[in-house]
Parts: sequence; structure tokens; C-alpha cells
Amino acid sequence: MWGRALVLLLLSIGVFVVATSAPAPAVAASDPARPVVRVGTEGTYPPFTYADPRTGALTGFDIEVVRAVAEKAGWDLRFTKGSFDSLFPALDAKRIDVIANQVTINPDRQAHYIFSRPYTYSHGVIVTASDTDDITTLADLKGRTAAETPTSNWTQVARDAGAKIQYVDQFSQAAALLAQGRVDAVVNDNIAVLDYLATSGSHKVKIAGNAGNEIGRQAFVFRPTDRDLRDQADRALAALAADGTLAKISKKYFGADVSVRNAGAVKVAGSNAGRSTGQVVQDTAWPMLRGALKGTIPLTAVSFVCGLVIALAVALARLSSYRLLKVPARVYISIIRGTPLLVQLFIVFYGLPEIGIELPSFPAACLALSLNVGGYAAEVIRASIFSVPRGQFEAATTIGMDYWQGMRRIVLPQAARIAVPPLSNTLLSLVKDTSLASVVLVVELLREAQVSAAVSSRFMALYCLAAVYYWVICYLVSLGQHALEKRLGRYAT
Amino acid sequence: MTTDPAASLVEVAGLAKSFGDHHVLRGVDFTVERGTATVLLGPSGSGKTTVLRSLNVLETPDRGRVRIGDAAVDFAALPRSKAERRRTVKALRARSGMVFQAHNLFPHKTVLGNLVEGPVQVQGRRREEAEADARALLAQVGLAGREHAYPAQLSGGQQQRVGIARALALKPEVLLLDEPTSALDPELVGEVLAVIRDLAAEGWTLVIVTHEVRFARDVADQVLFLDQGVIAERGGPEVLVDPGEERTRRFLARVLEAG
Repeated sequence: MWGRALVLLLLSIGVFVVATSAPAPAVAASDPARPVVRVGTEGTYPPFTYADPRTGALTGFDIEVVRAVAEKAGWDLRFTKGSFDSLFPALDAKRIDVIANQVTINPDRQAHYIFSRPYTYSHGVIVTASDTDDITTLADLKGRTAAETPTSNWTQVARDAGAKIQYVDQFSQAAALLAQGRVDAVVNDNIAVLDYLATSGSHKVKIAGNAGNEIGRQAFVFRPTDRDLRDQADRALAALAADGTLAKISKKYFGADVSVRNAGAVKVAGSNAGRSTGQVVQDTAWPMLRGALKGTIPLTAVSFVCGLVIALAVALARLSSYRLLKVPARVYISIIRGTPLLVQLFIVFYGLPEIGIELPSFPAACLALSLNVGGYAAEVIRASIFSVPRGQFEAATTIGMDYWQGMRRIVLPQAARIAVPPLSNTLLSLVKDTSLASVVLVVELLREAQVSAAVSSRFMALYCLAAVYYWVICYLVSLGQHALEKRLGRYAT
Repeated sequence: MTTDPAASLVEVAGLAKSFGDHHVLRGVDFTVERGTATVLLGPSGSGKTTVLRSLNVLETPDRGRVRIGDAAVDFAALPRSKAERRRTVKALRARSGMVFQAHNLFPHKTVLGNLVEGPVQVQGRRREEAEADARALLAQVGLAGREHAYPAQLSGGQQQRVGIARALALKPEVLLLDEPTSALDPELVGEVLAVIRDLAAEGWTLVIVTHEVRFARDVADQVLFLDQGVIAERGGPEVLVDPGEERTRRFLARVLEAG
């Protein structure tokens, strides 16, 4: 009888692999002369890379530059949005081919990656609360707290100055922490800071001084093995500089040409100036709904179904008398329940490519979430099977059923009813856990809220709206649970 | 295996089982003739339920042999291969039907669903045919019209009568009843015993574990009194009136006093 259970297990893994590999986008270019180049960018760092508040389309200085480069070099671009810290691992894992995100050239990065020629020159500034007057130079940062993104070049500058670092996901969060008085300073690119000031209209923070005298140079980042691609970018950038395109794009965004040294005063209009909170919420409502429909909900549905199949197979393996099935099942459950989901996501997305298994974002997130659900639900199902009275199985035996028949027709239907409330909890957790998928570059509900918050800094309104969306989805799930319980419970009075 | 048509329907020989140092069964032998009712009596822990559950291998004895009709299992020499062992046990199980103390009806299936589950799913009979038979059986146990009720909607006595009908639906050669009235409220015992009496009168072969001495006296063709894992006394129903063994006498006195 366990032979069949084993077959089921293998079958479910097979189905799972097929299901997860199916939605992989076609990478092959339609025109072989135009190679597909995948661009990684934050989409949350105005005015360089952000979602246009009116249209939701990806735009910004870096985006326009990379598009111009693609035009010259004959690339077919595909954009992938992710947090700044996820971009480098994504480049390593060959999920993207180039980063266009104001990456400052520094020796550490040069040791691991290759850079194009710079397309912006900028300098760092120290930002503090308006009423702070004892921080004006890098030396003043010693012992103070600065909010920075972990892998940013500015983080290193602040750390070298002796500041304690408070890590955040994106610049707008750092600025918010500063405005809220939770940190003492933020070190960042002057243009980004000016954009933030113009956008938020905040009088709570100010530029307190320059972060050293060094001029930062920002460029596109490639894998060291992609020298050809880099050289194409360099030739294109040189041509764009020569024909004035770079200067034109730069003046559009900054009122000055930052693509050369000593650009002069930068004037930033603010990528979001003049929108009311209501307008911001209105503009973001649809992108967030789209994030829910294309990210959160399909991710939840696919992961839950695959997770349940895994869980059933693992639960049966766990109940088996064969050590060969039982022990791996126990180990699996222990690993899943004993490690953070975030770590599991990182291993699947960034770790597996190192051993040759490369999954696109969505399938990778599905795989990690399914395995996670599988581990938790397996214990729920096992406990539910246990709580079906033993006499039920005996009765099935005495009417001539074998193990598998008794399990399928008598025990599992009753276990299913017992399992509905706890499995609904698992499902509700899953709905909310999908918000973690943004770390593996899946654009879902919360990511859309962050993208909008990056431009508008309306955290309260946007995160409350995200909460409402999650709540609505969860409420619908609990309605489904109620209906299912009623249906399955019709025989019990 | 060929069987002598004159031979007994059920043959049990040398049944023994122990859990560690505790010997539940220490060599139990008996036969059951076709069309008779055999009652197993004895104090709790005497092994009577274990004997009954050995007949359909819900318990696996350490040694001994059980034969029902032409299916037999020798527990001391079970086939090595798991598949072969399953086949042997399954063949023996197919000869008997079982009525449990706690009825063990399938709560997620209707009365009719409980009755046709075995015939349709296991025996592969056509559903319409199995349902017609099931309706007849329900009428026989006095439950015509309750086909579509769920077990939870029935009284304890009705549930147990469905349990009996479910066992009969498989058309077994022998019906095993494990304390069929022990879990019932006193006022519901009578209706279940009446059904069993009818079955005995109809010529079903019954093996019953029970504490109902008066009922046993009425229905039994053979009485087996078990004590400490052996048959301490055996005989016709007269054993229950005038036991030969002191421990049978003591047991009966206790049970009749309590009843």
C-alpha cells in the first residue's frame, strides 16, 4: 500500500515541478539581432527610478538613460523591480543582466562587478532634522545613528565616519525615520535628497552639510563575465554624451547636466509635487489592486494548492511505518518549521542558481511558499488523520477495504472536515506571507504600496490602504472557510 | 484448499497472543457450525474480544490458526511477502461481517451510503442492485424510510441496527458481534437484541461477545466461557443455567446481580 503512497509523493512532486516551471516567461528575443537585456532597478528611488504617479509606468533619470543606451546598442529591455539590496544578488544569480540604479563606483564593488563609464557625477550630503545643529560634517556623525540601505555606498561612508547604522529598505524610509526623529542623520546622494525635499515639502529635515568632498560617480553594473555587454553600453554612453542626449535627459530632471563633472546647481522639481494624499491614494489604488490580482492572489492560490498536495504526501509519509518515508518527512517538517520563511525564499531564489537551478521570480516564490505551506499543513493533516477515531479505520477494514481505500474513502474525508479551520489559518497566514515575495522581485500588493510611498512619502495612507486590501482578501477567505465548514459539517448534528 | 462439506464453518485452533509478559490468549480452540449462534462470555480481560477480533485479524495472534469456510490463516506461518500476507488476510476477512460495540458507522455517509460502501467499493457490485439489497436489509432491521439520514441523526439503538445491516450487506458467512449492546442506554438494548434474535432464527451464523446472560441463554447454540485466556467451560445454553465450573458460576452470579 505504501508503494502507492510513494507513487503519489513522486507524482505530486512531478506535478509541482511542472506547475511551477510553466509560467516561466519566454526569454528568447523575437529578433535575434536584438538581445534581451534584463534591467534590475528599484523603482522606489525618485527621481532616478520610480513609478510615474499618474500612469504607474516605470520612469526616472536612470530609466531614461538605460532606454537611450538600449536604443543605441540595439537591446531589447526587460525591467525587473526589486529593493536595492536584492539587485546585486539578482545580478549574481543571473536573474538580471544590468543594474540601472545610481550605483556608485567603489573599490569593493569593482572587485566583484564591472562598471560602465559613469553617467552621473554627484556628491553626498548629510541630512538631519531641521532643529539639529550639531551635525554639519562627517566627523560629527561619530556615535550618532544614521538610516541607510544595507548595501548602499552611502552606508559605507556613514559607517566609516563612525555612525551607527539603522538599516532600511529604501531612501524614503530613511527620510521618514529622520523626520520622525528616530535617527540622527541620513547620508545620501544630493539629488535624491533634493528630490525628496521638493516632493514631500517637508520642513522637518534639511541638508546639513556635505558628506566629504569626494565626487561620486554612478554607472551601470554588469557581471564580470558580461564584458561585451558592458562595452556596448560604454560605446552607447559615449555616443549619447557626444550627441547631447545625456545632457538633455539630465536637464529635464535636474535642471543641470549631472552627466559631467561640476554640473553646477541642481534644481529638482520633485517627482511628486503637488499631489494631495487623496490623490496619491487614488493613483495607487489601481496599481495595488493589480498587484493583488497579479501577485498576491495567484501566488497564494498556486502555493496553497501545491502546498496541500505536498502536505498530504508528507503527512502520509510521516504516518508510514517505513523509516525511508518517515524520517525524510520528519526532517522536512522540522526544517520548514524551524527556519524563517524569508531565509527559505532567499535560498530558493538566490541560492539554488548556484547549484544550477534557476527559477524566475514567480515560480521561485511559489516554490518557497509551497514548501513552507507543505511543512505546516502536513502537521495539521497528520493531526486531523489522528483525530479520526481508530474504529473508523477498523470498520473500513472489516468491510473489506485495504489501507489506501480506507484512507481515501473513510478517513481522509473525515480528517478534511477536522482540518478546515486550522488549514484556513494556514491560508490566511499565506495571504499575508506573500508580501515577503517582493524580496525575490515579485511585484505584489505591498511592493506597489512601497513604490508609491517612495515617490509620495504618504506612508500612513498607503500602508493603511494595503492593510485594507489584505483584510478584504482574508475576509473573503474566511467566508469561504465558513461555507466549506457548513458543507462538510452537514452530516454532524 | 478443499473443505469437507460436513466440516464446521469456523475452526479456531491454538490461538495464542501475548503483550510482553501478559498472556491474553493461551491456546483457544473451538468450532462453529453453520447456522448456529456462539456466545463468548467471560470477565473483562478474559480475552473474549481478542478472540473475536482474531477471527477477522483486527488483532494478529502470535500463534494459532483460523479458518472460515475455505479461507484460512495460520498465524505462526504467515506468508513472508507483504502482498501475499495481505491477500491471505483479506480472503479471511471477506468471510465475516463485524458489528462493533461503538457501531463505528461512517458519519459522513448516509445510512444507505454506509450500507452500499462495501458492496460497491469492495465487492464491485452495481450501485442500484446494492441499494435495493440495502433497502431490504433496512426494512429487516426496522429502519425502512431512514435511508437518507446521517448516523448522527439516529438514536443509539437505530445506529447499532444500521451497524448490523452494514455488516450483513456484504453477505458474510459469519457475523461477528462485539458487545453490540454495551454502549447503549438500557431502554435501547431490547430493539437491538430483537434484531439479533431474528438473525439467529433466520439461520445466520453468529459469534457474539456479550454480557447479556439472559439473551445469551435464549439465542446461543454454543456457549464459550473464557477466563484468563483459555476456554474455561463450554457447552449448550444450559451451561448458563447450571455451570459446571466454579468460576463460571461466580461470573454469572456477578453479572446477573449487576443486570
